[in-house]
Amino acid sequence: MKKAYVTVGKSVTRLDARDKVRGVATYIVDMKFSGMLHGKVLYSKFPHARIVKIDTSRAKRLPGVKAVITGEDMPFLHGEALYDTPFLAVGKVRYMGEAVAAVAAVDEETAEEALDLIEVEYEELPAVFNPGDALKQGAPILHEKLGEYYHPPVITPVPGTNICNHTKIRKGDIEKGFKEADHIFEDTFTTQMTQHGTIEPHAAICMVTPDGKLTLWGNNDSPYRARREIAVALKIPLHRVRLVGAPYIGGNFGGKGGLKAEAIAIALAWNYRGRPIKIVNTREEEFTSTVVRHPTVITLKTGVKKDGTIVARQTTCLWDTGAYAEKGPTVSRMGGASSAGVYNIPHVSIDSYCVYTNNQISGALRGYSGPQTAWAYESQMDMIAERLGLDPVQMRLKCAYDNGSVHAGGQVLSDVTLKTCLNKVVEAMKWDKPSPLTPYRGRGVAFGERFIKTPFASSAFLKINEDGTVDLISSTSEVGQGGETTMCQIAAEELGVPLASVSKASPDTAYTPFDESTTSSRSTFHMGNAIRMAARDAKEQILQMAATQMKVPVKKLTIVDGNVQVVGKPETATPLGQVMRRRYGASGGVLGRGFYFPDGLAPEGEYFTFNCIFWMYCAQGAEVEVDPRTGKVTVLKMVAAHDVGTAINPKSCIEQIAGGVSFGIGFTFYEDLIRENGKTMNPSFLSYKMPTTMDMPPLDPYLVEPHCEQGPFGAKAVGEPSSVPTAPAIANAIANAIGVRITDLPITPDKILAALKNKT
Amino acid sequence: MRTIKVTVNGESHQAEVPDHRTLLDFLRQDLELMGTKSGCETGDCGACTVLLNGKAVNSCLVLAAEADGKEVLTVEGLAYPNRELHPLQEAFVEHGAIQCGYCTSGMLLSAKALLDEIPRPTEEEVKEALAGNLCRCTGYYSIIKAVQAAAEKMNR
Repeated sequence: MKKAYVTVGKSVTRLDARDKVRGVATYIVDMKFSGMLHGKVLYSKFPHARIVKIDTSRAKRLPGVKAVITGEDMPFLHGEALYDTPFLAVGKVRYMGEAVAAVAAVDEETAEEALDLIEVEYEELPAVFNPGDALKQGAPILHEKLGEYYHPPVITPVPGTNICNHTKIRKGDIEKGFKEADHIFEDTFTTQMTQHGTIEPHAAICMVTPDGKLTLWGNNDSPYRARREIAVALKIPLHRVRLVGAPYIGGNFGGKGGLKAEAIAIALAWNYRGRPIKIVNTREEEFTSTVVRHPTVITLKTGVKKDGTIVARQTTCLWDTGAYAEKGPTVSRMGGASSAGVYNIPHVSIDSYCVYTNNQISGALRGYSGPQTAWAYESQMDMIAERLGLDPVQMRLKCAYDNGSVHAGGQVLSDVTLKTCLNKVVEAMKWDKPSPLTPYRGRGVAFGERFIKTPFASSAFLKINEDGTVDLISSTSEVGQGGETTMCQIAAEELGVPLASVSKASPDTAYTPFDESTTSSRSTFHMGNAIRMAARDAKEQILQMAATQMKVPVKKLTIVDGNVQVVGKPETATPLGQVMRRRYGASGGVLGRGFYFPDGLAPEGEYFTFNCIFWMYCAQGAEVEVDPRTGKVTVLKMVAAHDVGTAINPKSCIEQIAGGVSFGIGFTFYEDLIRENGKTMNPSFLSYKMPTTMDMPPLDPYLVEPHCEQGPFGAKAVGEPSSVPTAPAIANAIANAIGVRITDLPITPDKILAALKNKT
Repeated sequence: MRTIKVTVNGESHQAEVPDHRTLLDFLRQDLELMGTKSGCETGDCGACTVLLNGKAVNSCLVLAAEADGKEVLTVEGLAYPNRELHPLQEAFVEHGAIQCGYCTSGMLLSAKALLDEIPRPTEEEVKEALAGNLCRCTGYYSIIKAVQAAAEKMNR
């Protein structure tokens, strides 16, 4: 039975809303320090070339220039999964967005002027721009020293090739499975390169003292993870590196992890010590030199029985990870694990290859491989249903995971809500009634699923102030997702104080305790559990004090609305502050501690395990109309049902789904970062189209809220999967409307017209 | 360099600015009004929207010199002098029309320009007025609702 909560489960107003509408919320771009210098970067002119010579002497002589550096000045490698990335190019360049030199000067204009004075001599090398070509014999090799890079054992690069990770999964006997099948269908699906497009660019300010103590202010989503990357790269202990998060981050979606603007700020500050150096990316740099979503080629070979039972599926996934690994190895690992879909299949064979090319670096973008894999398996699901003459909803309900199903990665699943989500969607779409849609209109559905990165820790402190108010000390970043509010709600609920009494500041590795990351939709669950433990710890200490003071057993005391009271006797209510003052006078306060780590799911030391603390499930449906003369698709309606566990803040969850669907719309129809021979042709918001107010279809969002036993107040997660099923749901609706199937994203009018022409 | 006189949020400023100084840089760097945000510097995202003599402009595309003798309203000047929120700000807060907040000030000022011109806009008119302001977080639903709610309230 659901308990009645005071703060949890309420759509409370975001705690950051008032500062944000007043324009007083501070972002890294708004921050400056005395003596601060400004940095600018010179990028490679070629996608793959040997650096013969760099002459920085003229740039160094320009008045106002304090430092000009190249890769030779920064002989370290960094990386998130594989330490393959120099701070600036060393010896050769591997893509056109790669930093070759950087300048620190008294102002941006001087720094920019100095870039023009740097002379670089290149010797061009053969380049490769798609993962298929990069795997061929004789393809240019990007990383000759792949075998020497540091990486955790879970990552499996193949030295001598461009494969920086190969995830191989076998379940059952794939050949036997295909023999048992009545039909075998093989289809290939492709996705394009897209970018996060956060309106706030990457930025960082770094200062290194002459003795090598490094402080970095920035908009990194995960200060502790970045600190680890910096310390390992620079070979210095963790306590010599301090990351300070700006109060607010202007959007993330997986793009603000690792070292982006940070890498340049660090490299400059490492070489020019004692003054803070600031880097703010331009929009063009955002598109060419930060991170993008992996373009993919996914082939599914699926064996089915006549009745729609899937008996075997073989998947081959190619992830174009660009010039450096970034999160590619883990994206391709977890993406591979989910590439066979959300279905009970006895025989599965998966090969997922993360492949270097001379493109910009790919990594995590809202869904962490989910949008690409779902595009393949949910499109093929409808294709198979059509070939077998089955209803695509019925076929999904027949085959989808249930509690007790075994994931391709080996985990026995629980808390599976796929069918609940799909039933909600089809109910809202009135699927059981004959389609009311006229010619050129159609409807489609798709499942979505996402892992939670496991096992990783989160910790929190709860400082109860002398007056009974609470400072929540946690390293969860407020990137826009509403984490500040959600975390304060959890603290308020567990401690028994009003939400207005709780504040949370931004992370600072010098003060806020360890948290792995604000990624993977993990914070509500992991940090929420840590906060709950910290609140219990603080509560226990306060109740102990009160028990002595009030001369009643601890068991009989509780905290309600900021007052300690004997259970059932509101007349005994004593404010928290008073309880502490009686004990400590004007000084004092209480500190609660919480640490959460999902134990027992993976062998010690292993991470990004296929055995996740939980999986996120959802389903979406689309109704579309296609104009056969222009090929234009209008989405008439989207329906989205997402299992979030207990919604800590329902309004916030709905907002996440709405934002996710808008990402899905852009991914489906137009977002496409176009390159020609490694050069990005549309690195601007004008030429890289993202959804505007004019582009959003009507949306019916639904929260599915089963109580998750291990979650804080039963909560799970919401952000990552929100755009996972959008593209296949729409493609399935288009196929339903006009009988043509698009297998390569984005679905542009010309592809529709070409497909219609081929059909007739 | 040239001398300009600009009224910003009701306060008059006289300043020496280089000819190529944008209004955006003038506001953020010279006046240190950080509420106006920079998202692209090419007029494509709308994050830097301010009102120039009541009209919404991308301040990255306007030279500070062009604002000479004119009135500028930024997000800092939107709330009332007694610090009460403007109905648009209130509606954004109430309707959860904010996530990361980076586009919010530009959104608010585009919306203000709309409501100043059309006090009772249709949903379509709201969408059109905000079409030049990119938001990557919300999908715009709650923003559109908030603008309509503010219009409703202001017409009461």
